[in-house]
Amino acid sequence: MKKTPERIERLASEYVLGSLTGGARRRFERWMVDDRRVRQEVRFWEEKLGVLAQVLPEQRPRKQVWNAIEQRLWPEQKQRRSSWIWPTWSALASLAVVILASVLLVTSEESIDTPPHLAGAVVSEQGDAPLWLINEAQRTERLNVRSVAASQADAGKDYELWIVPDDADPISLGVVPVGGTHSVSLTPVTRAALQQSQTLAISLEPEGGSPTGAPTGPILHVVRLYPL
Amino acid sequence: MPDAQEQDNLIALLGAVAHQDRTAFKRLYDRVSGRMYSLCHKMAGQRDLAEEALQDAFVRIWHNAGEYHRDRGAPLSWMLSIARYRTLDLIRARQRHNSDAQDPTEHLEDGREGPLDTQLRLSGADALTGCLEELNHSQRDSILLSYYRGFTHDELAAILKTPIGTVKSWIRRGLLSLKRCLEQ
Repeated sequence: MKKTPERIERLASEYVLGSLTGGARRRFERWMVDDRRVRQEVRFWEEKLGVLAQVLPEQRPRKQVWNAIEQRLWPEQKQRRSSWIWPTWSALASLAVVILASVLLVTSEESIDTPPHLAGAVVSEQGDAPLWLINEAQRTERLNVRSVAASQADAGKDYELWIVPDDADPISLGVVPVGGTHSVSLTPVTRAALQQSQTLAISLEPEGGSPTGAPTGPILHVVRLYPL
Repeated sequence: MPDAQEQDNLIALLGAVAHQDRTAFKRLYDRVSGRMYSLCHKMAGQRDLAEEALQDAFVRIWHNAGEYHRDRGAPLSWMLSIARYRTLDLIRARQRHNSDAQDPTEHLEDGREGPLDTQLRLSGADALTGCLEELNHSQRDSILLSYYRGFTHDELAAILKTPIGTVKSWIRRGLLSLKRCLEQ
């Protein structure tokens, strides 16, 4: 097709509008690469029609979108928290003080052919000693939860431990007592969920644990585990 | 509408992004993602596709920020165009994927159907400094529907219940008149 000025003018406007489709669109893109006049014509329309987009009321994208962009551009940079948990759990957690979890690195033997060994700690903002230490016992399909400086739950209450999958409901790992080290069995399913999300939470529940199978009390801590 | 100051800020941020400045990239995202997302969402009529297009657009902006320069026009228009083209691509890729349907309106199960609301039509006309007002109704509506909803000629013909040849000529003539008016 010959590149007459009229044709460039027409195709550029339809290209920007989007009504130029399929093979014609691809051919026109090649014209753009080759020809400055074509590009100028396209810029004209992008600029002029762009004002139509600017009259739309602004709409904030969900927080997950930014997390996904970061994940795509810098996969080596670990997400600090599950992208899923905040919007969904914030209502539950609103009554409680959510203490930010940070991580203590503990030395560990290298494991080469086993899945990464996960560990994390819950520390309070002021406290020196961690409230809880959590680590996966190697090759034994268990998670050890050690209360260090955590205080006893109020009378009639218990702490309950949860796996927080990226895109599903939390999975209970049962009630965790304060005092000493408590060991939680992992099934193949819970182990896989934990390997994938590497995120746990502790909520305050009625004695004996949540009656519904989902967290009902305030979420006290969200803890991210890290492979060691 | 962005003023000159905002324009300069965006250009400065893009410059920093071209030098791999992640903090600048986040600030740029915070400033323009709301506008870009509302366009993607308007076109796609659904969240998933709009979010995917927005992600793709920002990944692209990160890699291509160095290609932006003032000759490309306003920085916001440049970024909006990236988002818009990506949304169009995704909408059409999805249509091809579901292309068993013969009737083009069957593609519109994604919620893009429906008339353009009056408010949008009015503000759109305003933004183009009254030039849209100079077009006849059919020309103006087919252009705005293509812009905001990403409709193809086939889809417009089905929605407006008009032969495709007529729709094509509305758009063609409408755009030409628009250009003459905008150039004045």
